[in-house]
Amino acid sequence: MRERTRVTLWRVAIAVALFALWEGLTHPAISKRVSKVVYFVDPFFISRPSTIWRRFWHLSSPAVRVPLWQLLLSTLESTFLGFAVGVSTGFVVGLVLGRNERLALILGPYIVAVNSLPRIALVPLVTMIFGFGLAAKVVLAWLIVFFIVFFNTFQGARGVDPDLIHTARFLGASERQIMRTVVIPSALAWTFASLTPSVSFALIGVVIGEFIGGESGGGIGYLIIASLGTLNAADMMVALIVLAITGIALSIGIRQVEARLLRWRPEYQGRA
Amino acid sequence: MAAVVSVSFEVRDKEFVALVGPSGCGKSTVLNMIAGLVPPTGGEIRIDGRRQEGVPPQVGYVFQKDTVFPWRTVRRNIALGLEYRGVPPAEREERVREAIRLVGLEGFEDAFPATLSGGMRQRVALMRTLVIDPEILLMDEPFGALDTHTKLRLQAQLLELWLRKRQTVIFVTHDLAEAITLADRVIVMTRRPGRVKLVHEVKLPRSRDVIQVRETEDYAREFGTLWHVLGEEFAKSEDEAA
Repeated sequence: MRERTRVTLWRVAIAVALFALWEGLTHPAISKRVSKVVYFVDPFFISRPSTIWRRFWHLSSPAVRVPLWQLLLSTLESTFLGFAVGVSTGFVVGLVLGRNERLALILGPYIVAVNSLPRIALVPLVTMIFGFGLAAKVVLAWLIVFFIVFFNTFQGARGVDPDLIHTARFLGASERQIMRTVVIPSALAWTFASLTPSVSFALIGVVIGEFIGGESGGGIGYLIIASLGTLNAADMMVALIVLAITGIALSIGIRQVEARLLRWRPEYQGRA
Repeated sequence: MAAVVSVSFEVRDKEFVALVGPSGCGKSTVLNMIAGLVPPTGGEIRIDGRRQEGVPPQVGYVFQKDTVFPWRTVRRNIALGLEYRGVPPAEREERVREAIRLVGLEGFEDAFPATLSGGMRQRVALMRTLVIDPEILLMDEPFGALDTHTKLRLQAQLLELWLRKRQTVIFVTHDLAEAITLADRVIVMTRRPGRVKLVHEVKLPRSRDVIQVRETEDYAREFGTLWHVLGEEFAKSEDEAA
């Protein structure tokens, strides 16, 4: 407990120091001692914590047309949809190909080809097909998440211990029962391991979609790109900080789910 | 090189047979053929006079390797076979509880295998197989990975369980003491490629106490006889390895 308190204290101390430094270096009263013409660090580019804080409240208030929480909600909605669709399709395809040697061999090169394509190169095409709204964002998230989950599940389904399958067979399992009680549980362990990176990547896909989508797409990504249009570093920082916190919250949430579902694993023993 | 060449032996109904031989002599291959996991390149396996193909339904198999499903609790591991067979939940629970009681795993019903010792996991594997009442029980060095003390306790429990139900057991081991303690007959195999070298009737009375039986003169005589035969094979394998 003591060690944990110490770690937490250090974390808080580092955060405070960083923000203080940021505030100080970009503040006229302090920087003027260094030079009369330019700030020590120009807040035009990186803004300043106090300004960001003010802009945060302003952007959250009803004074703006689309308040911050609504932008966040839009981003979260697309992220969850893309994540859910990506995980479920990736899981099913991974399972099917993992248990079907021939199909895996046939489709192997196509999967590698699509996967080696930088996702960002597909953005214009996705936009052309799905427009600027929710659908395009979900598709972009799906494109990334699908492959992460697919490859993991594929490995998991192929790596099922044959002796466990034999065991099930000796205990009288049908092929379907083997699938349900042996293959799926052992593949799931791999699938779950891919969920934490997946949720972060889903967020990436969505934000890219929002860059392109403009106002009709909405979301935090739109706030970032709109702030670029107005050269407003403070608003951009608000968006980035909100995104960072969202990313952390999503990862923690997924890890909780993972720990619950994988509670049989040695590394989770005694933690439930 | 073939693992085994022209291995032929019979196992009687309700008999406990141990298959011993130097490592790599094909004991497990023979067991896997009986289990239908490995098709024999020649010859045949007959169970109750019927030629055997594929995995026979009345056979239970306990592996040397830990094959307890890690994502299932003790209770749900033991229930597996009953679940597969569509045994109704109430009866399933009753039989699982009885199985847990028989091997003294009470209190660990809801534990995951990762929290159990090797001996406890192997007991789960054993009961998972026995709970479905197989007529024939195949065991491939089931206690091979356990320490001596745990091994003796599990041997005692196995004998006790076997005396209640009298399954036909084929027990593969490289531990001669284990073979003599448990079996009615010991089949000694030669080094690779394996053949049947000797079929030996163990003349020790039932029921046996796994510790006390080792202190009897009869046991010493049995061990001496078999050790002499088996020792030749061990010596040959070592010569080859050298």
